[in-house]
Amino acid sequence: MLSIGVMGVRSVLTSRLHPARIALLVALGVPVVLALGGTSGARTPDLELGRYLAAECMTCHRVAAASGGIPNIYGMTEVRFSELVKAYRDKRLSNAVMQTIAGRLKDDEIEALAAFFARTKRP
Amino acid sequence: MTDLTRRRFVELTGASLLSIAATPLYAPQVLAQAKPKLVCIGGGPGGGTVARYVNKDAAGAIEVTLIEPQKQFTTCFFSNIYVGGYRPFKSITHNYDKVRKEGIRVVHQAAASIDRDKKQVVLAGGRRIPYDRLVVAPGIDIKWDSVPGYSEEAAKTLPHAWKPGPQTQLLVRQLNALKDGDVVVMIAPPNPYRCPPGPYERASMFAHVLKSKGHKKSKIVILDPKPNFSKQALFTEGWEKHYPGMVEWQDPKVHGGIKSVDAKTKEVKTDLASYKAAMVNVIPAQMAGKIARDAGLADASGFCPIDPESMKSKSDGNTFVVGDACIPGDMPKSAFSANSQAKVAAMIIRGELAGARTFPARYSNTCWSLIETDDDVKVGGTYEPGEGKLKAVTTFVSQRGEPAEMRKQNYRESIDWYNGIVADIFG
Repeated sequence: MLSIGVMGVRSVLTSRLHPARIALLVALGVPVVLALGGTSGARTPDLELGRYLAAECMTCHRVAAASGGIPNIYGMTEVRFSELVKAYRDKRLSNAVMQTIAGRLKDDEIEALAAFFARTKRP
Repeated sequence: MTDLTRRRFVELTGASLLSIAATPLYAPQVLAQAKPKLVCIGGGPGGGTVARYVNKDAAGAIEVTLIEPQKQFTTCFFSNIYVGGYRPFKSITHNYDKVRKEGIRVVHQAAASIDRDKKQVVLAGGRRIPYDRLVVAPGIDIKWDSVPGYSEEAAKTLPHAWKPGPQTQLLVRQLNALKDGDVVVMIAPPNPYRCPPGPYERASMFAHVLKSKGHKKSKIVILDPKPNFSKQALFTEGWEKHYPGMVEWQDPKVHGGIKSVDAKTKEVKTDLASYKAAMVNVIPAQMAGKIARDAGLADASGFCPIDPESMKSKSDGNTFVVGDACIPGDMPKSAFSANSQAKVAAMIIRGELAGARTFPARYSNTCWSLIETDDDVKVGGTYEPGEGKLKAVTTFVSQRGEPAEMRKQNYRESIDWYNGIVADIFG
């Protein structure tokens, strides 16, 4: 029997991979899929989708920005890329072009783009 | 670009195997491993972009040929920035050396006709280039008779400079020879035409050059067949701010119609007045490039209807039309649009010829216009297939009274965009 304790109850209920939570869900008949390695619920990014969507970005975003107008996004971490694009989508960052482009991107598309640019060092 | 991934290799190989099973009529060709052929007519932002994107993303699975008569391509986009004296002519002129190094066959001859039955492009010298898929991106041709008194001959003294190169250089020579007190007349084009804000950016560049030279009395008169124009409120505000009293725009209700232009005397007559101009920039009505019209791809408008899901010609399932030659729905005729349309076409071509995954088409455009040094305005949007055309989804435009820093940042953006799109087309 697992020792949980008062503080442990919260972690059981909130932690996806806590063994006691998994046991509880199984007992309730809820199918449980264990994500092996890394964060729970991690999906393989759709790099082909990322490549297609990135074609639009590549007209403006190059590795070396001559006048500092448009930043380099190649090799940017996925987390940072997603944060920035969502900030434009939510209009927390101002730039009419980026707000319009980001405005039509869904979360899975942002994820695909982020994965593509993280793995692509140059156009 | 990333190396060929295992996933893509399997995808391409799997597609090839499926095509062998599904198309027994082509089995001998497939077994002989002949690569499918893409031919692009036109080496600008439309055709040039398709050629490069198919070539790089298909990783050798498709043989790509680019037909462009000019060995050096001068971009119409940013030619106004050259007119304004902000950059030299050579900075807007590019060659195809890098394109060749990427493995694309570049043919510097004119395409004379298209044999759609045999799927061959016939070059001016008679040689035939076979294709499985064809991209026709010839840009525009000028309707010489759309302005009374204008002609190809007249353009030698009254430049249009709407097809760039020697015409743009002629315009700049004329502009820089003007004396204080001279009158410049611009005849703006009717819709639809290449680059909606272009004539007004050009008039701004005329004003900038003359102001820089200390002109106090010179005038620029724009005679427009249209009742309004792209970014009009922004240009009007900018002209009043930077060039008070110098730029005068007349709509058709004011001038009453262009009666004639005279290439010898540079006299321009409207219903309202007669102008003895020192320089006349005639920007006539336009149509799709001749090769597209002769091939039966254009309709009565002179431009080519396309399927917005793919950029395929509505007349021919093996042919794509991108850029200024097509009917772009809500999208403007711009280099940015041509480049955006080209990427959808490239995706569809890779899907059909190499079994690559395809996704729903989406498009975008941004147009930047320089009014005076560091005062740049923009307009743009996103587009998707809808109601049978390229339909605007969201749009944006600069606002009057914006801070100077924002307008300066727009200019910096436009420079980086130019460098980006040039790399997209020319490598």
